[in-house]
Amino acid sequence: MEFSELIRTGQAQAELLRGPEMPPLRGTLCVTGHHLLLSPGPQATPDLWLLLLRSVDSIEKRVAGDAGTITLRCKDLRVLQLDIEGVEATLDIARSIEALSSLESVITSFPFFYRPKGLRLGEAWHFHPPERYYKRIARETRAWRLSEANEDFSLCPSYPRAVIVPRAVDDDALARSARFRQGGRFPVLSYYHAPRGTVLLRSSQPLTGRQKLRCAEDEELLRAVLAEARPGARGFIVDTRSAQAAKQARMTGGGTEAKAAYPGWKRLHRPLERGRPLQESFVRLMEACGDPEQSMDRWLSRLDGCRWLSHVKEALSTACLAAQGMEWEGACILVHGAEGTDSTLLVTSLAQLILDPLSRTMAGFQELIEREWIQAGHPFQLRCAHSAFSHTRPKHEAPIFLLFLDCVWQLGRQFPLSLEFGEGMLLALFDHSYASPFGTFLCNSEKERCLCEVRTRTHSLWSGLNQPKEQRKLRNPLYVPNPLAIWPSVEPQSLRLWQGLFLRWTHPPEPSEVAWEKVWQIATDQKTEGSQPTDSASEPQP
Amino acid sequence: MASAPTSKYNSHSLENESIKRTSRDGVNRDIGEALPRLPGETRITDKEVIYICPFNGPIKGRVYITNYRLYLRSLETDSALILDVPLGVISRIEKMGGATSRGENSYGLDITCKDMRNLRFALKQEGHSRRDMFEILTRYAFPLAHSLPIFAFLNEEKFDVDGWMVYNPVEEYRRQVLSWIHPENKTVIMRCSQPLVGMSGKRNKDDEKYLDVIRETNRQINKLTIYDARPNVNAVANKATGGGYESDDAYHNAELFFLDIHNIHVMRESLKKVKDIVYPNVEESHWLSSLESTHWLEHIKLVLTGAIQVADRVSSGKSSVVVHCSDGWDRTAQLTSLAMLMLDSYYRSIEGFEILVQKEWISFGHKFASRIGHGDKNHADADRSPIFLQFVDCVWQMSKQFPTAFEFNERFLIIILDHLYSCRFGTFLYNCESAREKQKVTERTVSLWSLINSNKDKFKNPFYTKEINRVLYPVASMRHLELWVNYYIRWNPRIKQQQPNPVEQRYMELLALRDEYIKRLEELQLANSPKLSDPSTSPSSPSQMMPHVQTHF
Repeated sequence: MEFSELIRTGQAQAELLRGPEMPPLRGTLCVTGHHLLLSPGPQATPDLWLLLLRSVDSIEKRVAGDAGTITLRCKDLRVLQLDIEGVEATLDIARSIEALSSLESVITSFPFFYRPKGLRLGEAWHFHPPERYYKRIARETRAWRLSEANEDFSLCPSYPRAVIVPRAVDDDALARSARFRQGGRFPVLSYYHAPRGTVLLRSSQPLTGRQKLRCAEDEELLRAVLAEARPGARGFIVDTRSAQAAKQARMTGGGTEAKAAYPGWKRLHRPLERGRPLQESFVRLMEACGDPEQSMDRWLSRLDGCRWLSHVKEALSTACLAAQGMEWEGACILVHGAEGTDSTLLVTSLAQLILDPLSRTMAGFQELIEREWIQAGHPFQLRCAHSAFSHTRPKHEAPIFLLFLDCVWQLGRQFPLSLEFGEGMLLALFDHSYASPFGTFLCNSEKERCLCEVRTRTHSLWSGLNQPKEQRKLRNPLYVPNPLAIWPSVEPQSLRLWQGLFLRWTHPPEPSEVAWEKVWQIATDQKTEGSQPTDSASEPQP
Repeated sequence: MASAPTSKYNSHSLENESIKRTSRDGVNRDIGEALPRLPGETRITDKEVIYICPFNGPIKGRVYITNYRLYLRSLETDSALILDVPLGVISRIEKMGGATSRGENSYGLDITCKDMRNLRFALKQEGHSRRDMFEILTRYAFPLAHSLPIFAFLNEEKFDVDGWMVYNPVEEYRRQVLSWIHPENKTVIMRCSQPLVGMSGKRNKDDEKYLDVIRETNRQINKLTIYDARPNVNAVANKATGGGYESDDAYHNAELFFLDIHNIHVMRESLKKVKDIVYPNVEESHWLSSLESTHWLEHIKLVLTGAIQVADRVSSGKSSVVVHCSDGWDRTAQLTSLAMLMLDSYYRSIEGFEILVQKEWISFGHKFASRIGHGDKNHADADRSPIFLQFVDCVWQMSKQFPTAFEFNERFLIIILDHLYSCRFGTFLYNCESAREKQKVTERTVSLWSLINSNKDKFKNPFYTKEINRVLYPVASMRHLELWVNYYIRWNPRIKQQQPNPVEQRYMELLALRDEYIKRLEELQLANSPKLSDPSTSPSSPSQMMPHVQTHF
């Protein structure tokens, strides 16, 4: 496909307004296949201003006299205004941006063309697959094995090629269990909690249906999990739907595990909102945050009405429930909702951050996201097609990954020393999950990424982020490894609006980057001066 | 596990542990002893009671009462609970239940405190067992009603530093005119009370003349700006009682603005509502909406907005400013002191802040005795109001928005508030300087700043970066204000973050290393500077010689 067919105009003169804090830019505006460029004239600063078209969420145009105005609302929640000379030019540019920003083809997207200096293709892609995690747990226990039954994605299109399953269950049994679970997502190991020898599993709902079907292999799989744990261990199935919703799912072929069929396992229902209601909550929150007319004495009740913080609270409490089941009751936990690709991953990944000190390191956190979100089949392309500003009716969009990042931010706020990465890392992940020059968040599953050859033809976000020059923005200068579990407080007054994200572009007091920079200075000055050696492998280059 | 409600999974299990921490409020004590005592503190009585803990249920303990504090130690093996409450924080003591009340723990005492909590003790019903506890508590919590001295006059604590020396009005005057003069454009902030205009529209030639002189000291702009802290309608209403505001025709060359800040009664009721939603249990459903209905943050916003206007007028508008409300010691003190904090980085240091409090609040006659009610039993007194607390809250909001601009930390603000009530120090006693002089407060009592300044490290913000001449404009939008949870909800063990100790320890490490770094840098500078290489000349004053070293952090 030729991008040139979609580009209506070469260039135009324009002025760009970037919000209250930044000076306006004047220059020549130009649309290319993937970018919007603004080149200031030779007299001005030589900096070229660049916007990835993919990150445009909605576009609004107005014309008056012989000039026009385009308002771009971006997926990273920025709002930009372009004042353009010429009515025709304005309309042409608007149409070009509209067409190019909504292209659906993955292989013509920018990551397939992005070739930054200093990075080599294929780097960092080998960092995090399940094989690596399996090696870690194989040192602790022999009860689990790495199965390649899904080598050709035939068992489950949304799982990676290799998954970790009980040693006692063979690949044929896995295939049968897969047929009994929605989308083939049979129970697999998500996290092995070595201190108590318990496990966290995830799956999708069983397809019991109206006839209350059963599957011997699926039952056997869960029985084997308990048998491998310590004697007498119990299991809890955390269903992220209400009991009512789980029951109703039977009418459409889904359902939940029957008590009698899974001895030793007890079901708990912790309904978490996802899909449409979550997306609407995000949209309402951004309306409230961006409303300049809003009379400020109603801010708190409006914030309350968005329910975003309630979603944060519910997600964190459910993760605590799963984590406490493992840590305090020594129980095995299986988490699933319906498809098992959204709330399920939210709960399992947060539970690991609470329990596992390794997942709170920079490398561990990247591995966690790769393993529990990307390879675990969270459909990023569908969920992050639009963020909060799109006028089109949401189809599959839902900010579930953003909700995860917000929960992590709350953890970081309550435990300021325990995460090796800082707010900058979470902001970067948010930006890149919605629009990125890197290939990491492309597609909906490993299968799709293989078909598109994402690994060999695009750069990994992790190699981009792990460059020395990025470290100061992303790392937490105050980090000290904390071997304990970090139990967050989920009382409403302990949870805050993540201002650094939701008010990022309207936020005027001391910009948090400035404060961050000062903290870095103090912390690193004394590190180079101080005599204690730190783990040099992960030491950033100042 | 399954039967427990979700909230059970939060941090309940940590409650017992955190209660130990909550009860320690910054008073030095020896935990090993049964009862910690200050020099000059005498033990009056002790008794076995049941403390009805709102978070953990009834706990059997022994309560000790001295002339300074109420101290409770748990007698149960599985609870290490300790309560340590200066009697000064007690606002009201009530008897609950009667000799014939039925039901467990229904007979005892109910104590309302000024610091956002209540205490409830159950006693045995036989033999009027609570009567002497009630009487002793009443006598020592409200000494003024019993012709007893306030504890500050009995306190024999000794500190290395004398906090009374922190503020010397003459020296401060040399540094500043009242209240503050801009170092470059020479505009000033002045304060006064409302003019006594009354219904008939009285005028006073001398007052008009005086304001005109103030205006003339500033050569850059012909106008003087007057900020009236009150809402416009209140100022008009005040005419009925003889007060009012400066009219245009009498004070030409002056512009008058109203800042819409409500009076002490509105603030008191607002804080009462905050207490209702946070103590003992936090209103969980619709937390934000209930918080909004207290209007507390809205009042904070208006005070901050007013102070920003004053500061901005002086700094950018280059106009001299007069600030007043009705009496000139409540809202006025809030506005001038906050504006000075925004304009002058000196007041953002520990010592500078102490001077600011001493000057703008204590010296200028904020009526601490009436607003707080030290040693006074009249809990419903309409003069009581949390004006100073509101000011400290505004300071905290600023320190949140500018994490590196203040030398002090949150603990510093909290200890000031704790001793605002405790009556252990003379700092906040009495309504005005003349009363303090009459009572010889500086000779007969210890200053709070003695306690703080002899242990400054505890109160330092490790991220403090000294910047001279930086004007701070906080954002006074509701989106950027939050409830000061660590103060208002600090008695609730559930909001405690689970690892305060490592955080603090890390901050202390950072501080120590920073100091060491500065010292080394200074040494290097000394070594590299040929003029100063002779050691006999160097010790004079390193900070004066190398101002750039100082400003580096």
